[in-house]
Amino acid sequence: MAEKDLQIEEKQEVQATGESTRNVPVFVPAVDIYESENALTLVADMPGIPIESVDIDLDSDQLTMRGTIAMQDEKGKVIFREYTAGDYYRQFTLSSDIDRDKIQASMKDGVLKLVLPKAEAAKPRKITIQSS
Amino acid sequence: MAIFRYPNWRWPEIPGALEDFERARRQMDRLLSVFTGGVSNPTSSGVFPPLLVTEDENTIYVEAEIPGIKAEDLDISVVGRTLTLSGERKPEEAQNVNYHRRERKWGSFRKALTLPEDVNADAVRAECKNGVLKLVLPKPEQVKPRKITIKSE
Repeated sequence: MAEKDLQIEEKQEVQATGESTRNVPVFVPAVDIYESENALTLVADMPGIPIESVDIDLDSDQLTMRGTIAMQDEKGKVIFREYTAGDYYRQFTLSSDIDRDKIQASMKDGVLKLVLPKAEAAKPRKITIQSS
Repeated sequence: MAIFRYPNWRWPEIPGALEDFERARRQMDRLLSVFTGGVSNPTSSGVFPPLLVTEDENTIYVEAEIPGIKAEDLDISVVGRTLTLSGERKPEEAQNVNYHRRERKWGSFRKALTLPEDVNADAVRAECKNGVLKLVLPKPEQVKPRKITIKSE
């Protein structure tokens, strides 16, 4: 593997998506999206969010994910801070048809993984060219 | 490897003051980012992982956001006052896929932090939950504050 040093990616705050009633910052999670023949997979970094606090909503082609952090009092006094804990929110518009009954969501080590299987109609079909 | 030296000054002890400053800073950053096109945290060392260090009388607490890093890919050591975190964030192995977005970063990291006080290295506890590492570093007896009672004759 090539040597590559990780840098801190400054967390981006969500810009005005309707105000939250909770007084916590809302961040945009870093996301990987990849597509295979059968499914669209979405991977999002949401450190500090337990699986039961993740909300995923698919409304027609609008996919919304929200992670709500359980705010707890920081122990002692802060002497050095490089990040702030907060909620995560992101919305995507999906292009291909998704088989909603088969959507799978899992969470591991603060990383959300969503597998959105494509509906039969949206799967690629190989077109054979017939020569006459 | 980058060494971050803990600053010598301290925030005044007003409850919530730091949070207010932090909020003000974020709002200011957002305003300024219009001109600069993105800003970075002035107190950030820029080295992964981002840390949050707090302390009370008996303990120093260090938290780090390390989403997607397994406990076995992480090395934590304390030598004297230097806490070192190193490890690797591995890319996800997905084959025969087309990427639409690739925002999550991967690679190796080494970060050293000079702790403000000595810690009892044998009693350090580490816990990793939901992608957040929590370290509890107890201070040794000799640096804990002691109450001195005044005897009156």
